[in-house]
This record gives sequence, C-alpha cells and structure tokens, in this order.
Amino acid sequence: MLLARIDGVIVSTVCHPSMHGCRTVICQPLNERGEADGAPVLAVDSHGAGQHQRVLVSSDGAATRTLVGDPKSPLRNSVIAILDDSS
Amino acid sequence: MRLGHVIGKVTLSRQDPAYLGGRFLLVQPWSAAKYAKPAAPLASNAGLVVYDSLGAGVGSIVGFTEGSEASKPFAGLTPVDAYCAAIIDEVFHQPPQ
Amino acid sequence: MLLARVIGHVVSTKKDEAMQGRKLLLLRPLLVDEANPTQFRPGANTIVAVDSLGAGQGETVLFCQGSSARQAAGMQTLPVDAVVVGIVDAVDVLNRTIYPEAKPAKK
Repeated sequence: MLLARIDGVIVSTVCHPSMHGCRTVICQPLNERGEADGAPVLAVDSHGAGQHQRVLVSSDGAATRTLVGDPKSPLRNSVIAILDDSS
Repeated sequence: MRLGHVIGKVTLSRQDPAYLGGRFLLVQPWSAAKYAKPAAPLASNAGLVVYDSLGAGVGSIVGFTEGSEASKPFAGLTPVDAYCAAIIDEVFHQPPQ
Repeated sequence: MLLARVIGHVVSTKKDEAMQGRKLLLLRPLLVDEANPTQFRPGANTIVAVDSLGAGQGETVLFCQGSSARQAAGMQTLPVDAVVVGIVDAVDVLNRTIYPEAKPAKK
C-alpha cells in the first residue's frame, strides 16, 4: 500500500467499460516526511476523497476488480482509506 | 494505472495469434516533472509498448495498466503486460503550493 | 511490453522439463532516444526471453514480461517471465518511421 495525496482527477469518455461511473483520482505518493516521492499514479476512488487529502492506495488488482464489479477489469489501484488529518 | 503520452505506433509482421484486433502504441509514461509541465519534451523513459483496442492516436493522453491486470480484459490467454484502459479527455492536476 | 533487438542466443542442455525444445534469445531493450526521437537508444540491461515465433539474430522484436508472459500460446506451463510475442515490421514515432531505418539520401 502507498501513502499518497490526492492531487487531482482525470476525465475519460472512451475507456474500459469497468471505468464507467468510476471516479479516477491522481495520487501523488508521499515519503515519511509527507513530501512528494516519485511519479503520480491513478487509482479508483469509491470513498469520495477530497483534493489534497491523504489516502492509502492499494495495488491489489483482485480487490479493485471486486470494487468495480467486473472480473475482466484491467484496473489495479484503488483508494482504500482516507487518513485522518493529524500528520 | 499510469498516465502516458502516445508518441508512436508499432506494426508487427508476426505476432502471437491472440492479438487479433488490437494495435500497439509507443507510450511515454508521465514522470513527476511531466505532470508539472505537460508540454515538456521527451523524457528518458520513452518507449513502452501498450496494447490498445480503444483507438488512441499519436498525441493522445492515455491511462494504461501494467502487470498481470493488463491481461485481464481478454477472453482467452493473451500475453499483454501493458493495456490502454482509457483515453483521457482532461487532466485536472493541482498539487498544493 | 518493450521493443528489443535480438543480440544473440543461449543454449542449455540441463533445464526444466517444460523448457525442452524452446529457443532462448538474448535481448537488448530499445527505447526511443529522447534527444533525437528519430532513432532508438539501446537500454542498459540484457534480458533472456523465450522465443515463440522464430525470431533471429539482429531482428527487432516485441517482448512481454512478468506473469502475463506465460499467457503466450503454448507457454502456460513454462517457468518463464519474458517471452517474445511479436516480430516488428515498422515503428513510427511522432509520425516518422524510425524502423526500418530509412536509407541515407544520395547527394
């Protein structure tokens, strides 16, 4: 799992059917000091994470396929938790 | 999933029989610097080949998945480790100041 | 998946049963040269991949890595993580054909 910050969203019309109606967010991985670390990744968000909130991103593909309800989905990353902002 | 710019295409003369109907795109995955400045020139990691059945072209921004998930959308066994899952219309990226 | 040039092959007699009769190729990945996108830049690493199509020395191929590689035709039981899945005919970058290389124009 990755500690990440929501840095934005993407919009896509032509996409895999499993992404229809799915919010896809840009997650910036963070290091232990809360600084940006590496290139952002995209993740499916079902919790409604807000801009700049800190989240946990899981790369468990099986869980993400269950989340979007499509066993043939190519999606891999999903937001599994929004962190309480205490840092 | 990661974002990338389509910079080219690959044509195969012989291929695995499972690939019928798809195309292969050359993609430059977006680095952290590319997010900050999308018009930046090619970075050193250009050249990933991504399977596409959506119809992305040179200049498109695509969202692609890598690893074993990339072969999940196929009915049969298909050796694909990078799959174009979305053609991106808009990227709203605003890191905190 | 990445493009690569076949730079050689390796031979092994004592190997996993499932690997019998499989050709092993030495591949050097090809990346698009960021300074000059009309040519390739060889990657730093060398990869050994199983051939499923009959690629030969010097050819440019497409290869697949990781668990997806085993999904190639007839590879399900092989203990491998890199398989050649295509032989490249042409590569276009930014609407210019960079492979096969254009012959230098005569002056």
